Amino acid sequence: MEMHEICLSHSGRFHVEGGISLQEVLSVHNLYKSFIGVKALNDISLSISQGEIHCLAGENGSGKSTLIKCVSGVYAPDSGKIVLNGHEYQSLTPAQAIREGVQVIYQDLSLFRHMSVAENIAIEKLRFENRRIVSRNEIRRIAAEQLEKIGVSIDLDQTIGETSLANRQIAAICRALAQDAKILFMDEPTTALTKKEVSRLLNIILELKKKGLAIVFISHKLDEVFSVADKISIFRNGFKIGDFNKDELDEKKLSHYMTGREVEYPRYVRKCKDDRVVLEVDRLTRKGHYENISFKMRPGDIVGLIGLLGSGRTELAMSLFGLNPAHSGQIKIDGKTVKIKSPMTAKKHRIAMLPEDRITQGLFMERMIRENITSSIIDKVAKNKIFTDKKAENDISEQTVEELKIRTPSVETVVGNLSGGNQQKVVIGKWVATHPRVFIMDTPTVGIDIGSKAEIYEQIHKFADQGMAILFISDEIPEILANCNRVMVMRDGRCIRILNEEDLEKPDAEKLISELISTRAEEEREEAVP
Amino acid sequence: MNKIRKLAAGDINFAILIALTLLAIVLSGVFIGDKMFTVANIQAMAYQIPEFGFLCLAMMLSNLIGGIDLSIIAAANTIAIFTANVLNGRWAFGTDGAARIILAICVALLASILFGLFNGLLISRTSAPSLIATLGTMTLYRGIGMALTGGSSVGDIVPGFSYLGKAKLLGIPFIFWIFIIATGLLGLVLSKTTYGRALYLYGGNPVAARFSAINNERMCRSVFLLTGLFAGIAGIIILSRVNSAKVGYGDTYLLQTMIVCVIGGIHPNGGKGTVKGVLVAIIFMQLLSSAFTIMTLSPYTKKLIYGAMLILVLGMNYFINKLIQKYKTR
Amino acid sequence: MKIKIRDRYRAILLIIMVFYSLFVGLINPAFFSIETVFDLIRTSSTSLMVVIGLLLVMISGGIDVSFMAVALFGSYTTIKIMIAAGIDSLAFAFGLSMLIGGFLGLINALLINWLKLPPFIITLGTQSLFHGIMTTFIGDKSFGAGVLPSCLNKFGQAVLFSFQSDNSRVGLTASVVPILIVAAVTWFILYKTMIGRGIVALGNSEEAARRIGFNPSRIRLFVYTYTGLLSGIMGIIYVAQVNALYPNKLVGDELMVVAAAVIGGTKITGGQGKISGAILGVLIIYLLNSTLILIGLSSSWNDLFVGAILVVSIAVSSYQERVKNRKNLIFTE
Repeated sequence: MEMHEICLSHSGRFHVEGGISLQEVLSVHNLYKSFIGVKALNDISLSISQGEIHCLAGENGSGKSTLIKCVSGVYAPDSGKIVLNGHEYQSLTPAQAIREGVQVIYQDLSLFRHMSVAENIAIEKLRFENRRIVSRNEIRRIAAEQLEKIGVSIDLDQTIGETSLANRQIAAICRALAQDAKILFMDEPTTALTKKEVSRLLNIILELKKKGLAIVFISHKLDEVFSVADKISIFRNGFKIGDFNKDELDEKKLSHYMTGREVEYPRYVRKCKDDRVVLEVDRLTRKGHYENISFKMRPGDIVGLIGLLGSGRTELAMSLFGLNPAHSGQIKIDGKTVKIKSPMTAKKHRIAMLPEDRITQGLFMERMIRENITSSIIDKVAKNKIFTDKKAENDISEQTVEELKIRTPSVETVVGNLSGGNQQKVVIGKWVATHPRVFIMDTPTVGIDIGSKAEIYEQIHKFADQGMAILFISDEIPEILANCNRVMVMRDGRCIRILNEEDLEKPDAEKLISELISTRAEEEREEAVP
Repeated sequence: MNKIRKLAAGDINFAILIALTLLAIVLSGVFIGDKMFTVANIQAMAYQIPEFGFLCLAMMLSNLIGGIDLSIIAAANTIAIFTANVLNGRWAFGTDGAARIILAICVALLASILFGLFNGLLISRTSAPSLIATLGTMTLYRGIGMALTGGSSVGDIVPGFSYLGKAKLLGIPFIFWIFIIATGLLGLVLSKTTYGRALYLYGGNPVAARFSAINNERMCRSVFLLTGLFAGIAGIIILSRVNSAKVGYGDTYLLQTMIVCVIGGIHPNGGKGTVKGVLVAIIFMQLLSSAFTIMTLSPYTKKLIYGAMLILVLGMNYFINKLIQKYKTR
Repeated sequence: MKIKIRDRYRAILLIIMVFYSLFVGLINPAFFSIETVFDLIRTSSTSLMVVIGLLLVMISGGIDVSFMAVALFGSYTTIKIMIAAGIDSLAFAFGLSMLIGGFLGLINALLINWLKLPPFIITLGTQSLFHGIMTTFIGDKSFGAGVLPSCLNKFGQAVLFSFQSDNSRVGLTASVVPILIVAAVTWFILYKTMIGRGIVALGNSEEAARRIGFNPSRIRLFVYTYTGLLSGIMGIIYVAQVNALYPNKLVGDELMVVAAAVIGGTKITGGQGKISGAILGVLIIYLLNSTLILIGLSSSWNDLFVGAILVVSIAVSSYQERVKNRKNLIFTE
């Protein structure tokens, strides 16, 4: 069936011409897969056609990655059928999957930093064909060919290490195309891109769709990706809840289906009466990362910070914590200008940060809970500041465990054995033990089960009530709306809008924020609106 | 049940080590007991342990933070050369007798701290991998020694100094006391102080340590300063026993200190291991070394055994860990 | 014209070498002679041979400090056999030594694959193990020029082209031939074959390499065996040049070769390194070693200078890497 005979409607969906169904690239029938103690896939059935843009939505652990791994040959399903291009499989090897045109782009892109772009594109194909000899010309030819398929041109001779993130993603896509991909899986493709780059990516995807490639995204939030999706399959706890088209879903419904609950998170209202400014940031700039950021925080403020990665939000957070010192501008604590050049200084000024990656940045996975909780206050739980005081350690740890509702048999449990939600609570507890006045939280609820999420929100509100100022970084607009009394929106390194309590009360707040971070028009640079 | 499992897993290496040491004692008792366990020989071992022991402590510290310090032996020798030069009058600034000895020791300690600090600064300021950085400083320190001596040994030491190497306190060599006290102090610091806690955290996960507002740079500097210090003390002890200093002395010690650390339960990735394990390992290696000398094995054969030991111990650790994993997931 | 950073580094090395040579030549004009070049090549030939193998190992993300012991083992065993059996064939010498070296390298690879522990520690162990086995079971005697097969000395003295200078004939040692061949073959392997790209891929990211279909264990088998082969060749070249067989030479000089590779721009973390860089690194070290005496410093100053250069080069390249990482908010230590 020739793809260019299909006409595209306004919404970008395919029609069926003359009653002939589009060729199915992939269909999955009654797939089951479990691991020790976990039923990862329960009776999953799904079908994807040529030229279809499909989205798999669901929280961490809902089964979407497991499905992809089954289809790409990494896992063998326990039972069920996988049909690729009309060929039936009970399970397949990675080589078979590649031969059927299955390509997966993982979030880390799996590229080789010190090899050229051209080589990264071509190497998988050449390896697959079992070539013994490789020629530079052929590598370039293959690479150039793929770039042409999507109408993009990037420097082929640069090493990947020297290339921008967006171009790396293009290289990854080209690598998949070089293998004659018929169906391309992309894991959270837009998280690391700027506005413009997201636009470019979407255009590329539409190009690929025109050529008949089926594209499957993994996503867990409504974003640009949804706007081009033909179908969205929502997963929860290993089950497929259903297939929807994008008009049937909004943030609330999506969250409802993904979590199974009508969760109405209680809105945070600032009760603290102290209006003295704790933290003031004045025209903070770090060249290449962010520019002219200014805002104020009072005790009891939970200020949301939202923006795509690349908007400068993580860079800003790290600057406030001393890991990425600013080049110009000022940071003032209680009115006094301070220079924060290291986390030690930040801690001294009672600024705390919950890092983005709790496993490598937040926790000492092989050590016990009490050692983790006291890891930022080692000097405090000591006799004479020199000798560790086991009793004091235990006291603080047990107190923290109780306050934050960390589920564990004892404070001697190794942190690596806790669930994601409990691990995150340990990291929170570690910093709360330093009695911070400003607590920066970078996406605190990523990959955490619903129950723990609610508990963490509750805790955060309580801290704010007690006078802490919290900078809450998140990608999920409902989460931001529920937990913040003010919101800062960043884009391309600038703060483009700060929404206050009144703005957030308005019914269109959600839409407004969504538009602010994801408007697609090519605009001129706006001045920061304080 | 879980507690027993945890205990077993953590201390199984130590248990095996103790078993090996006892085995070594028993076997050597059976076969060469008449020469091995004489008062003279035990004293000899007590004299030999300290210099080797300090080098092992240095290596252990660098391993605990996930790195390795290749420069310890070069540093020890070069510092011994400095000390010898003070002691034989060349750099004595007119002092003599006890004053000269004190000056010499001060120079040695100062130099040790400088050498260690140089390593620490190099690694913490540039984030150079410790293997490569200390490869460089090893060459550099050795080079300083070579430039000063041209390869020949420095002798002519004030006699009072070698007295230090021979003196006994309550029947036990003075230098052995120093070693035991240092080991005890180190053990105390590592297990009971805030510094020790921070060291283990830093060694186990330097990224998380940074994000926990632990001063990584200071940690790195201080640890290498300590390794330099221990290496220097080893140098002083070597000088007091051998009565001369020379580039290249003890080059074979490098492999042996690594064996000690591996058997002693220090994980090369950092964050795991205790002083007591290393201490037993040191004693074990000394028993072996003495036994080999008594059996008059050639230096080549010794090398063979040490090399084989390292591989075997690594292999054994691997298997034991695999068994423990299997046991855990049952 | 865009000069890439890595090329810039090697260009700077070359420029420093040139300036240094000019400096030396000014002080001691005897330096500016073709003999110097030939001499430099001759003395560095053994290190050049092994650094090429070490380069591959380091690019793959590993390291090997047992290659000297392997070279010694291979050559010693081979020559002992040749003496005992009366064989006098250069091809045999190279062939058998290569085989033995390759076999020992294979053992290294097997241990590293199997034990999954830092290659530095494992090869430190095998260094002693191999040397110990050789001296204990094969022999620990020295052999003088009289008993050695004559083909060795012939090769050691052979020159490619020579001319009269002052009172003696000087020539370019024939040892360059195996070196050039090995360099060319290695270049071909590294850049033109899939296994070579696999080596680079492995050094970049084992996980990603695996996903593409490379087999890390097999690649390691290759690089360590290859290094072993080259070490075997080197052992024979060494004996040929020295014209005597000792059981305790070579071992102990490994770290110089590693230093040379590092100075030449090879990263210990793997994924990058150039043959020309490694060769340059070796030449710089030997240049220093042989010229310090010409500017009035005895050979005991060699280590100091090499050490200083090593430290500076490590500091500079590590710091550059760190600045790049920090800019991308990567904190790895």
